[in-house]
Amino acid sequence: MEYILFIIAAAITIGSSILALTRLNASHALIYLVVTLLALAVIFFLLGAPFAAALQIVVYAGAIVVLFLFVVMMLNLGKSSVEREQRWLQPRMWYGPAVLSAILFAILCVAIYDSPSSDTTGTMVSPKEVGTELFGPYIIAVELAGFLLLAGLVGAYHLGRRYLSDRRS
Amino acid sequence: MGNAMTIPVDLVMLLAIALFVIGLFGVLTRRNIIFILISIEVMMNASALAFIAAGARWGQPDGQIMFMFILAIAAAEVAIALGLVIQLARRFNTLDIDAASELND
Amino acid sequence: MQFLPYIPLLPLLGFLILFITEGRLNKISVALIGAGSVGIAVLIALLVGIDFYNQEATPYSHQLWTWMSVGDFQPNITLYLDPLAMVMTGVITGVGFLIHTYATGYMWEEDGYSRFFAYMNLFVFAMLMLVLGDNLLVLFLGWEGVGLCSYLLIGFFHTEPENGYAARKAFVVTRVGDTFMALGLFLLFREVGTLEIQSAVETATTTLWPDGSTMNTAICLLLLGGAIGKSAQVPLQTWLPDAMAGPTPVSALIHAATMVTAGVYLVARMQGLYLLDGPALDIVAVVGLLTLVIASFTALVQTDIKRILAFSTMSQIGYMFFALGVGAWSAGIFHLMTHAFFKALLFLASGSVILALHHEQNIFKMGGLAKKLPVPFWSMAIGSAALAALPLTSGFFSKDAILITAEQHSDYGLLFWAVAVLAAFMTSLYTMRMMMITFFGDLKTEPHDHSKANMWMPLLVLCALSIVGGWFGFEVTEELFADKGMKALEFHFDPIALITMLVPIAGVILGYYLFRPQNRKSIEKIANSTAGHNLSRFFFSGWGFDWLYDQIVVKPFVAIAKLNKSDVVDSIYKAITAIMRYSYNLIVITQNGSLRWYVLNMSVGLAAIALLVVFVL
Repeated sequence: MEYILFIIAAAITIGSSILALTRLNASHALIYLVVTLLALAVIFFLLGAPFAAALQIVVYAGAIVVLFLFVVMMLNLGKSSVEREQRWLQPRMWYGPAVLSAILFAILCVAIYDSPSSDTTGTMVSPKEVGTELFGPYIIAVELAGFLLLAGLVGAYHLGRRYLSDRRS
Repeated sequence: MGNAMTIPVDLVMLLAIALFVIGLFGVLTRRNIIFILISIEVMMNASALAFIAAGARWGQPDGQIMFMFILAIAAAEVAIALGLVIQLARRFNTLDIDAASELND
Repeated sequence: MQFLPYIPLLPLLGFLILFITEGRLNKISVALIGAGSVGIAVLIALLVGIDFYNQEATPYSHQLWTWMSVGDFQPNITLYLDPLAMVMTGVITGVGFLIHTYATGYMWEEDGYSRFFAYMNLFVFAMLMLVLGDNLLVLFLGWEGVGLCSYLLIGFFHTEPENGYAARKAFVVTRVGDTFMALGLFLLFREVGTLEIQSAVETATTTLWPDGSTMNTAICLLLLGGAIGKSAQVPLQTWLPDAMAGPTPVSALIHAATMVTAGVYLVARMQGLYLLDGPALDIVAVVGLLTLVIASFTALVQTDIKRILAFSTMSQIGYMFFALGVGAWSAGIFHLMTHAFFKALLFLASGSVILALHHEQNIFKMGGLAKKLPVPFWSMAIGSAALAALPLTSGFFSKDAILITAEQHSDYGLLFWAVAVLAAFMTSLYTMRMMMITFFGDLKTEPHDHSKANMWMPLLVLCALSIVGGWFGFEVTEELFADKGMKALEFHFDPIALITMLVPIAGVILGYYLFRPQNRKSIEKIANSTAGHNLSRFFFSGWGFDWLYDQIVVKPFVAIAKLNKSDVVDSIYKAITAIMRYSYNLIVITQNGSLRWYVLNMSVGLAAIALLVVFVL
């Protein structure tokens, strides 16, 4: 049962991500990105990681993509940008990267199938276990993540100011 | 949760690789910086999926913990990247990434 | 006895003071320090000498400190005093002091007064270290020091490029000699194991090569090479005439009395090595004889008064080498001493003449100065008499001792003596020519003699020394070496001695008649005839040595240097930088600032590494 669900979710993920990348309008791409993230959340749930799934939806799709949308709306890209994208997105630009991506895909597949295959356990890892780990062995990493977010905050504030070049920083 | 049929890890990894490659393809192809950032997000999600799959394979919470760190990183990165995007848009009046190529020789 | 180190120390102090104050002192202080340091050195040398002779002239050494200590090689800075060193010290400090005093007046109007005396004091210090050194390393130190000071002083008037070239030529030519000497020192050290003169000669003569050997001959010839360079003998004599570009006191001190005699001192010091069986000593005599003849013929046609004196110095030093070569060691050193007196006198007197005529040095522009400049005239007359070895002057005693000993030489006695007598004849001839043309005849340039006491006092003292120096010098040098050299001066009525005595007189008389103002026209006719003209040009250029060296040394060297103008060796380094620059230009293409290009590169790298990991590992 999970297997079938997994296949469906996987197909949605891939299709949605491809669609996300090939749109001309930034907002459309972001919506497709949200779909991708939601499908991934389903897959996380199937893998027995409900906490991760919830986080994915709340933080990733709910905050990060929303941030993206805000900035895109602020930049006020209009019809001219759509035409520009069309100009830029010529099929002939796709050949090189396609080849490279195919090669990389092939190599990594070989790497995966070389190693012994196994199944997932199917048991759910509850949020309680995750929490215990976080406050136990990974406490330092949590603090460092806090540093990182603080740095991100300060950086974003500084970079977002108007007339950055005129004012003394 | 009933587990009549568990999911083979290979398949999940395959999905992760596919997503990663798709994201890479997007980074290489698009010129608009917003799309490049979106592609990077896709790539990050691919690696997150790989971690979760590994954690599910062994039944340990470490995979989810790595996922959370990836989330934190992605959040910080997006914040700063969008700040840079705003600056780029203000200075060069375009979102073309090739406009910001002055750091050359 | 403990005063021995102070003799070289005082001129060194003078040099240091003048060097540090760098021309900020006034001229009187500079003169006092410059000449005074050497003056006090003279007094100390006198004290040391009296003490020395009271102790029956036993040699002693005074160690100052160890220079370096490298494995087995531990040379010390040691001063060694024996009769030879005593004579040399006396000459250097005594004549040096007189010349310094003269120079305080001569150089008064010139720029760089302080610099001049600094260099002169440094020279006296180096020369004293040369003669007082106990080991060959200290001698070499003094050797190089005097070479340096010679270079500095020849090029003293450095604003004229000609003086720089002359200084450079002197340095380079003596360098060739110094290289030979260094090789000789290396060989000697390798064979004998020490550079201390006394023990080295001792070891060599008693243990190593009691019957001589090719190694010993090689060492002697190499050391002779150094002596030839420093003393301006054939074939390294080309620098001495050009060295007259320096001020006259420099020519007097360095290129007449002291530095050029360093080579003679070196050979005399290593007497033990030369006396061993082998051709070395004969070669010394031949070198001296050749120089003697070449220089005296060249001096006959020169027009610059200082060049005449330079060539005469060259030939007199040839006499000294000749003396050492035929076994008249004491006579050779005796001649060194008397030569210092009368040559310094001649140079200083000619300096007075030059100064009075406002730096005119061409003798054909002089004339009739006998009455106008009495002190220089009589000084030069006495000096010339000593140079020509007229009877009872100091030069007479020394030169005749040499000639008579030469005749008694085992193999080539008569030949040596005949050639040397011919050269003596030429000496008196060109000396008379110089005197006649400079001081007699019509007045060509008006002299203005402004010299003060500090210039004519030294001249008077040197006049006295040139005359009586022979008598007291005899006492001092009689037993310098255990040889029969000075015994030759006991008078015998044999033809050799008589001819030796009378030849200079004959030369003087001939010179008088040839170069009298009345006869000058006929001389000029002979000189301007084709044969005479070519011959005189040949002699004038120093028998073509300059031309010869130009052809075989200078021109090929310059040609090779021009070939290598872009420097083959340098091109290796240039190639390295060129490769670097090329690869840089290649690599910099990858840094074009475009972000997508960087991502592409990263992806390719990622693919490559993944390939590597998966398939290879």
